[in-house]
Amino acid sequence: MSGTVIATHGLRKSFGAVRAVDGIDLDVRAGDVYGFLGANGSGKTTTVRMLLGLVLPTAGTVEVLGRPIPKAGREVLPRVGALIEGPAAYGHLSATANLSLSDASGPGGSRRTRKARIGEVLDQVGLGGVGKRAVRGFSLGMRQRLGLAGALLRRPDLLVLDEPTNGLDPQGIHEIRELLLDLNRTGTTVFLSSHLLAEIEQLATRVGVLDRGRMVLQDDLATLTAPTGATVVDTPRAAQAREVLGDRVLSADGDRLVVRGSEPAEVNAVLVGAGVPVHGLTLQRPTLEEVVLAAAAGSGDRVQAGAAS
Amino acid sequence: MIAVELRKLFRRPRTWITIALLNSLPVLVAVLLKVTDLAPRPGEGPAFLSAVLTNGTLFPLAALAIVLPLFLPIAVAVVAGDSVAGEAQGGTLRYLLARPAGRTRLLVAKLVALVVFVLVTVVIVAIVGYVVGTTLFEVQSLGATTAVSGTSLTPDQVAGRTLLSIGYVTISMLGVAAFAMFFSTLTDSPQLATLGALAVLIGSSLLFTLDAASDIAPYLPTRYWLSFVDFFRDPILWRNVVRGLGLQAVYVVVLLGAAWANFTTKDITS
Amino acid sequence: MVVRGWRWVVVALGLAVLVALPALVEALPADDEDVSPADLRAQVLASDDVAFSGYAISSGGLTLPVSDALTGVADLLSDQTALRAWYRGSDDWRVDVVTPTGETGTHRDASGTWTWDYADQRASRGDDPPLALPTAPDLLPSALGRRLLSEAGDDELSRIAPARVAGVDAVGLRYTPADPAASVSAVDVWVDPSTGLPVRVVVRSAGTATPALDTRFLDLDLSAPAATTTAFDPPPGADVTAERDLTDVDLGRQERADLPATLADLGRRSFDGVPDQIGAYGSGITVLAVSALPGRAAGSLRDQLERTPGAVVDDLGVRIAAGPLSLMVAGTSTRDGGSGTYLLAGTVTLDALATAARQIQEAAR
Repeated sequence: MSGTVIATHGLRKSFGAVRAVDGIDLDVRAGDVYGFLGANGSGKTTTVRMLLGLVLPTAGTVEVLGRPIPKAGREVLPRVGALIEGPAAYGHLSATANLSLSDASGPGGSRRTRKARIGEVLDQVGLGGVGKRAVRGFSLGMRQRLGLAGALLRRPDLLVLDEPTNGLDPQGIHEIRELLLDLNRTGTTVFLSSHLLAEIEQLATRVGVLDRGRMVLQDDLATLTAPTGATVVDTPRAAQAREVLGDRVLSADGDRLVVRGSEPAEVNAVLVGAGVPVHGLTLQRPTLEEVVLAAAAGSGDRVQAGAAS
Repeated sequence: MIAVELRKLFRRPRTWITIALLNSLPVLVAVLLKVTDLAPRPGEGPAFLSAVLTNGTLFPLAALAIVLPLFLPIAVAVVAGDSVAGEAQGGTLRYLLARPAGRTRLLVAKLVALVVFVLVTVVIVAIVGYVVGTTLFEVQSLGATTAVSGTSLTPDQVAGRTLLSIGYVTISMLGVAAFAMFFSTLTDSPQLATLGALAVLIGSSLLFTLDAASDIAPYLPTRYWLSFVDFFRDPILWRNVVRGLGLQAVYVVVLLGAAWANFTTKDITS
Repeated sequence: MVVRGWRWVVVALGLAVLVALPALVEALPADDEDVSPADLRAQVLASDDVAFSGYAISSGGLTLPVSDALTGVADLLSDQTALRAWYRGSDDWRVDVVTPTGETGTHRDASGTWTWDYADQRASRGDDPPLALPTAPDLLPSALGRRLLSEAGDDELSRIAPARVAGVDAVGLRYTPADPAASVSAVDVWVDPSTGLPVRVVVRSAGTATPALDTRFLDLDLSAPAATTTAFDPPPGADVTAERDLTDVDLGRQERADLPATLADLGRRSFDGVPDQIGAYGSGITVLAVSALPGRAAGSLRDQLERTPGAVVDDLGVRIAAGPLSLMVAGTSTRDGGSGTYLLAGTVTLDALATAARQIQEAAR
């Protein structure tokens, strides 16, 4: 596995006069955990659906695993596991039966290994004990796990997950996160679409930010949150520290000072030398939230007066 | 894919409830006939019902004639209307298509599953009709059955022609099924698709009775439904049966084509 | 970029082809043959030994004032009747009137007919009466064509365009009655040129575009059907009766009538088995039947006719026309000591009926 896993060029989707997705160029590479961030209504789901051949683009191209979508869907999609806008299953059937039906309804799922694979993924997502129970009685979290099991059923090269931790309790979220990281370590590329910054920040290696149908940001998380060249100092004697550092202090907030200088040791030496106690010293990094807020204009749910009419 | 659709359909409790409800009407009619001994005057009421009191082996046909005008097409419209729209409403359609089950493949599999459903339903109606008919009414074990033309049919002939009727009634339902399926690809609401198909059905039945519509009567989906009676003329009158088959084939081809044209290019946003 | 429209184009084209196909087949021109009208008529009249089986539809365009004794006839002439026929010879045939859930079959053998009615589970045996109301078998194009052309004169015949009927390229023959009293404007008969079998008959009356009667084969097979198909044995359990014929219907045989030798320029003629009290006039497709009516029957029939829209009521009596058929209750009521009441019925104009009624009154005086 190497190279580009998802590539879109000038991808656009219009519903009537509304441009839900407006010319985005996704670039997801093998081995990435790609965090696809965007507010509600920013076009995330439409993009995910275009990647899976459910929604047909108005313009632009989609390539997944090096093959065009939707044209080569029959070839490519069996190697892609997906969770799209919440899980769905036949309520009157058991979890096992649901997975078995799903596996049988497309290519790439060997009948011989089906039973074993189903048992395995149910254990993986923590539903091993309820495989025979009708899905009707499942909680939201259990359904979410079942959906994930469906996505993992064929050991996909690429996982496309839309809000995968929806409905899970903190324990569940942690479990799923560990599972995804585990899969990623063994070579699975993960495309994670979410509006939860924290989730993306904890999982993603690359981030794309969508705002009102446009891609406003796409880079490695490490680059986005790279040190700014400043050091954050935590000291109980902030006033004294300011005197010592002079105009190197960029901003101050109570006991917390932001000081110019990418060498915390050097800053520490200056302060300690002047007899100022230092409780903590770190390199300043922007949070993902700050990066996203700087790039994106606002919440998609928010409708300005006059804009809706 | 077809096997998957069949499993979905027949492991669903609703399917069997539908079939059970469908059978309740002929059974009720049989019990009422038995209790009151009031058979409809020959030539009135559902076909073959008047003959049932003296020959219970004809009750499978009477049962078919009872469910044919309304119950059976409603059952078919409900199941067919649910075919695509039901998956869309339940959210499973997007997973099916992302699996990927090809869209055309899915449509064809759904249609085949529907045909099997209709066949199973009709066969069950006939079997229940036979059991009820032979339990409640006299059986002419030696004597032959009188055909519509006044000739006598041997029990073997009756059995053979009943099988032909079962096949014909099954195929007669395909037009309604194709309508419901086409509507089912247009909307995400199975109820709406079913209602659309029922509107077609009721409209067709109404126009059929209208003299002013006689020019379009041969093209109405319900036009040749009753032609299964023609199997019991002697010799069998094939003309309307053949036309009925052809008409249903045209409806299936055109509507499945329209469903295909719509569904294969549809944005799945459900 | 996916081009989406082509699928709909395919479906629309397919639909167009399917819809247009029947019309295109129908529009295919039929071959004509060079036969003189007289020869064609002779061929038709000689066709009663042509064996065939087929399926025919007869549509009547008439609205008759219905009397209870005549509902069967009224249905034949005003509705669509589907007929299945098997014909081996003039006294070995079977015609079934097919309804959606039943049928009525007429089986002819050497000595008479069996009529099977599925709805009533009744088989009735009839001998071949000379005078009978029209029944469904008479509407079969073959039988009707031969009957209507039987008395046509050569100068009344002309050739019309051929038509494709039941897959046969049938040649057309038109019979336009010359008699001024005629209410039928034309009878069009299409004939299978190889056998002379009439395959379609259209009876037209003056002044209306809707044919009074249009009967044609939809399916026709010119091979002889099996004898077992035309034969009939009453099934066990059926109600077996003897058939009533028209001579049993009380048409006022007790009333003596001295009818003139001509009425409205139509000559009187006699048929075997027709009682004297009924006078038959005319020839070909222009015929008039006159019978005296008993007072009570006359009163109720007169009332019924008077209520019919379009009825002409004057001192001669009441007369109505339904397409080419006309009916009149003429004369004053016997109750006021008048000259007796007559029923006049036929395929003549209302004026001819009036003339005939006047002539009967004058003869009776």
